Amino acid sequence: MERTRLRRQVALTRQSLFDQGFLDEQFIQLEDLQDDANPNFVEEVVTLYYRDSARLITNIEKALEKNSLDFNKLDGFMHQFKGSSSSIGAKKVKAECTLFREYCRAGNGEGLPHLSVQGLNGFAWIHTSCRCTRTFQQIKKEYATLKRKLEAYFQVVRQAGPAETACWPK
Amino acid sequence: MTLVLRFQIRLSYGRATFAPRTSSEQPRSIPQFRGLRVILADDDALNRTVTKKLLEKLGCEVTAVSSGFECLSALSSAENSVRLVVLDIQMPEMDGFEVATRIRKVRSRSWPLIIAVTASAEDNVWERCLQMGMNGMIRKPVLLQGMADELQRVLQRVGEGL
Repeated sequence: MERTRLRRQVALTRQSLFDQGFLDEQFIQLEDLQDDANPNFVEEVVTLYYRDSARLITNIEKALEKNSLDFNKLDGFMHQFKGSSSSIGAKKVKAECTLFREYCRAGNGEGLPHLSVQGLNGFAWIHTSCRCTRTFQQIKKEYATLKRKLEAYFQVVRQAGPAETACWPK
Repeated sequence: MTLVLRFQIRLSYGRATFAPRTSSEQPRSIPQFRGLRVILADDDALNRTVTKKLLEKLGCEVTAVSSGFECLSALSSAENSVRLVVLDIQMPEMDGFEVATRIRKVRSRSWPLIIAVTASAEDNVWERCLQMGMNGMIRKPVLLQGMADELQRVLQRVGEGL
């Protein structure tokens, strides 16, 4: 039966997103909130995430283009972005965000001693800012990959129709 | 009459396949929280959407606002019908601490109840929350079970007259 096949496809696609490390437990929290009153809640939240975070990404990009990096500002943006990514269970994106924030703290002279700017002046600063930029490229890559995968997943979900927990018409 | 509520603690990480929960496993609207009027203040649209749905899932009636100012004005226009305020601490312009301080200037310590939501992992955040007149605190990410637990704890303390 076509519906059974589609349902299986939904389950397999979903499972692979977890197995490949794209999503974590937080995504299940969102699924728990989905119900008959909000049957597309998960997709709506993910759409909201991509819409809202686009602005943050632009802000970070602009901040990274400056000649002199404001690590505090960057860290602030990234704190927000990491928080949002965490809310939808975006595991890989979140991991890259954590790394980025560590580099921001190093750029401020805090954090890992071997990245401290004390005594190393320009070299360490450039080193850290390169790392921030490169990590951000990685973030954008993971962000875009997840978007594609989730779009494909929601498409199958829609094709498969309402889930077992939905009320069947009487 | 004593009402005993038992919460089933699910250790989700133990489930290797991340199987979606069936409707029988999902936390149900808890009688104690049904109809509980809540104001939720969070400047982040995503967090606001998720936390609002979470509270509704627990049975609460939620008004969601996006700033400290809106929170205070919603509270004053609702008079005494709001039982609980769930407050994100890190909000621009007016943070959660300031909102709580302003609320406590005119309201008693147990009405409305205030639960703080924070991303901070620092130990002294809870002390600061208490100083500002808050009744509870939840760390992000906000989970259904975590919110249910903290809500129950806070309501119980009020019931015990603490």
